[in-house]
Amino acid sequence: MSIAKNKLAKKIVPYLYVLPIIILSGLFLYYCIGSTAYTSLYEWNGINDEIKFIGLENYKNLFEDKVFYISLFNTLIFFVFTVGIQAMLGLLLAVLLRAKLRGHTLFKSIFFMPVVMAPIIIASIFRIMMDYNLGNLNVMLRALHLDFLAVSWLGDPKYSLMSVIIVNVFEWMGFSMVMYYSGLLALPDDVFESAKIDGAGFFNTLFKITIPMLKGTTSTLIVLGIVGSLKTFDIVVMLTGGGPGRSTEFITTFLYKRTIEEYKAGSGAAIGIIILIIAFVMSIIQIKFYESSQKDM
Amino acid sequence: MFSNLKRSEKIIIEVVLILFFIIWLYPIMQSVIESLKIKGIANYIAVLKHPKINYPRVLFNSFFIAVSSSFVVTFISSLAGYAFSKLDFHFKNALYYLLIACLAIPPASVMTPMFSAAKNLHLMDTYGSIILPLVAFNSPFMLMVIKNYFDSIPDSVIEAATIDGCSTFRIYATMMLPLGIPAVINVLVLTFIYSWNDFLIPLLFVRKESMYTVTLAAQYFTAAKNQTPEMVAQLYAALMLMTLPSMIIYIFGQKYLQSGLTAGSVKE
Repeated sequence: MSIAKNKLAKKIVPYLYVLPIIILSGLFLYYCIGSTAYTSLYEWNGINDEIKFIGLENYKNLFEDKVFYISLFNTLIFFVFTVGIQAMLGLLLAVLLRAKLRGHTLFKSIFFMPVVMAPIIIASIFRIMMDYNLGNLNVMLRALHLDFLAVSWLGDPKYSLMSVIIVNVFEWMGFSMVMYYSGLLALPDDVFESAKIDGAGFFNTLFKITIPMLKGTTSTLIVLGIVGSLKTFDIVVMLTGGGPGRSTEFITTFLYKRTIEEYKAGSGAAIGIIILIIAFVMSIIQIKFYESSQKDM
Repeated sequence: MFSNLKRSEKIIIEVVLILFFIIWLYPIMQSVIESLKIKGIANYIAVLKHPKINYPRVLFNSFFIAVSSSFVVTFISSLAGYAFSKLDFHFKNALYYLLIACLAIPPASVMTPMFSAAKNLHLMDTYGSIILPLVAFNSPFMLMVIKNYFDSIPDSVIEAATIDGCSTFRIYATMMLPLGIPAVINVLVLTFIYSWNDFLIPLLFVRKESMYTVTLAAQYFTAAKNQTPEMVAQLYAALMLMTLPSMIIYIFGQKYLQSGLTAGSVKE
């Protein structure tokens, strides 16, 4: 009897360990996804009881909405440039820091510091700095007689997305740098030694040996960049609020405006589902890509 | 590549590094300088005495939210991490991957139900309405970090204890947690930083100034009309006060944070 009881307990006990996270995280998040999918089929202001089933109408309207495509396109451009610039600068600085010359730990901590600070505060600082008239950036450029560079960083649709990208690079470059730096530390020294004996120069070694060997790090940074771009919200809200016009409208700011400001919960939910589908598909593609590249090695 | 550098190569490396160092230091340095312009330290005192934003209260809110969510996340993800790593049960892999799949959910994408639920259930302006979503969104990643670490602890360590008749909870509390201390601390600190810096969740659920977090307070100050140089100086002082706690944490734990923030993201 007691043995049978013990066996039963053994079967049940493991579930008790995973129950808290399943309730607080799993159920909560899957409920949110389900509820978003459900809401996306309705016309609803998000507040009262007036709710009307309209099928896929919300999605159909989105696919006919120019702003939807603009926000997707802006998010894509943002992803390509931030991930690209952050990876290139991060790799460059990681390689230079790896020489371990004087002051390299201080340099490294300053490059990484913005990663720990709140994006909203970094964006606030840049919003004041990038002000057309009084911002330090333009005051400095004018003092250097570089007036043609003192543009309206956040107020001109030609430059606004670029400015958002610059601020994001400032915030997150240190992350890529530390990733590459620890990747470099893990590479065996003798690889570089033998390259040197073979007479390979700095750039030859960099492009033929170092970068290929850091493929895993680059791949991780791309995955994180995709999810990160689809999450980007704080710095856009603070810097431009999506404007001027729709020049820096991101998929997330578009969703926020639809739901909270325009009281179109159904349409907002449809945008949310599209973001989710993109995030999941991208993650799966990247994991498959990562697995197959691991097999080749 | 990194050893036996020529003198000229060393100079080039130092110059490039110093150049980028100045670019990265500039925004912070100039914020500190600007925050002391015109009225000096009085700019800071003016922020501390602000009629609407109560700085100690804002700090307390952020602190309370970040500490609570990091303890809850660490507790539930270490419990689950232990089970997924060392115990056997049906649907183990399926449950694990269902939880890990949540990593790909951008919080903004599901803001619609969160917002209307909080509104309809009258949960706006409560600590719970901020802490619960932070726990939900942070847990899957932290579970992965802890489970990976527990996987590296050999089964033989706990086998002896199992034969001695130790309960699974005793093994968790007296063996896995002490052995997993590096991962546990990592998860505590990461969740604290992520929760402290979060903006979207408090933005959705907070309307009252008394419930503002540091990120909402920073937005409040920046969004106000700052036309005069005095107001801009005071705004910088406010931003510096809001970021001061994370700076202090970074100065004392920077080595730890650099490895912690990046190491967890490497999938194994």
